[in-house]
Amino acid sequence: MMKLTTMTLCVSVLISLALPAQAAGDPVMGKTKTSMCAGCHGIPGWRTAYPSVYSVPKLGGQHADYLVAALKAYQSGERSHPSMDGIVGSLSEQDIDDLAAYYASSYSGPVK
Amino acid sequence: MKKILLVSASVALVFSLPVYAAGNVEAGKAKSSACMACHGPDGVSSVSSFPKLAGQNRDYLYHSLKAYKSGKRKNPIMAGQVQTLTDADMQDLALYYAKQKGLYLKY
Repeated sequence: MMKLTTMTLCVSVLISLALPAQAAGDPVMGKTKTSMCAGCHGIPGWRTAYPSVYSVPKLGGQHADYLVAALKAYQSGERSHPSMDGIVGSLSEQDIDDLAAYYASSYSGPVK
Repeated sequence: MKKILLVSASVALVFSLPVYAAGNVEAGKAKSSACMACHGPDGVSSVSSFPKLAGQNRDYLYHSLKAYKSGKRKNPIMAGQVQTLTDADMQDLALYYAKQKGLYLKY
């Protein structure tokens, strides 16, 4: 009996480890928080102005986990860009999860 | 005299055009084998911690690779990967991934 319990426990742990870690964001909430993102990331052909000029990355369809990691890297200073450094300061952990969920999802906003 | 003017004007025009990064899609594909393990075939990664590259803007990809190489952008895996890449390699890879289908502009 003990053996069975232990086995079940081990299997549960293994299964939970095997599942991909999903960011707990809400795409619908995320859409309401994009006002600071869309001015650069939502405009076709938009480029950074400083310190070097290149097209801002496309976010649509990107993995949520990667987007969360990127935003947190800007917050910690591990990654740096003048515009992004300023913007991430105002984002809570929930904001980051929601934004990442929005850009990763196929949800594009309320139907008008 | 008119001919000289025309030639001068043509030369001036060529030099005034913006310099687009060169790059070769086929060469990029050939060099992408090392990237595939994490970023997936054709830049669509299945592991969510590794970003998709397919369809990303070419100059952003090129800028990122250069930033990893210069050390401005830090990532232990990428730091190792870019060491052997030449500028031409980075341009080829950036062009190849930019041409694949995946990421899109989202407002």
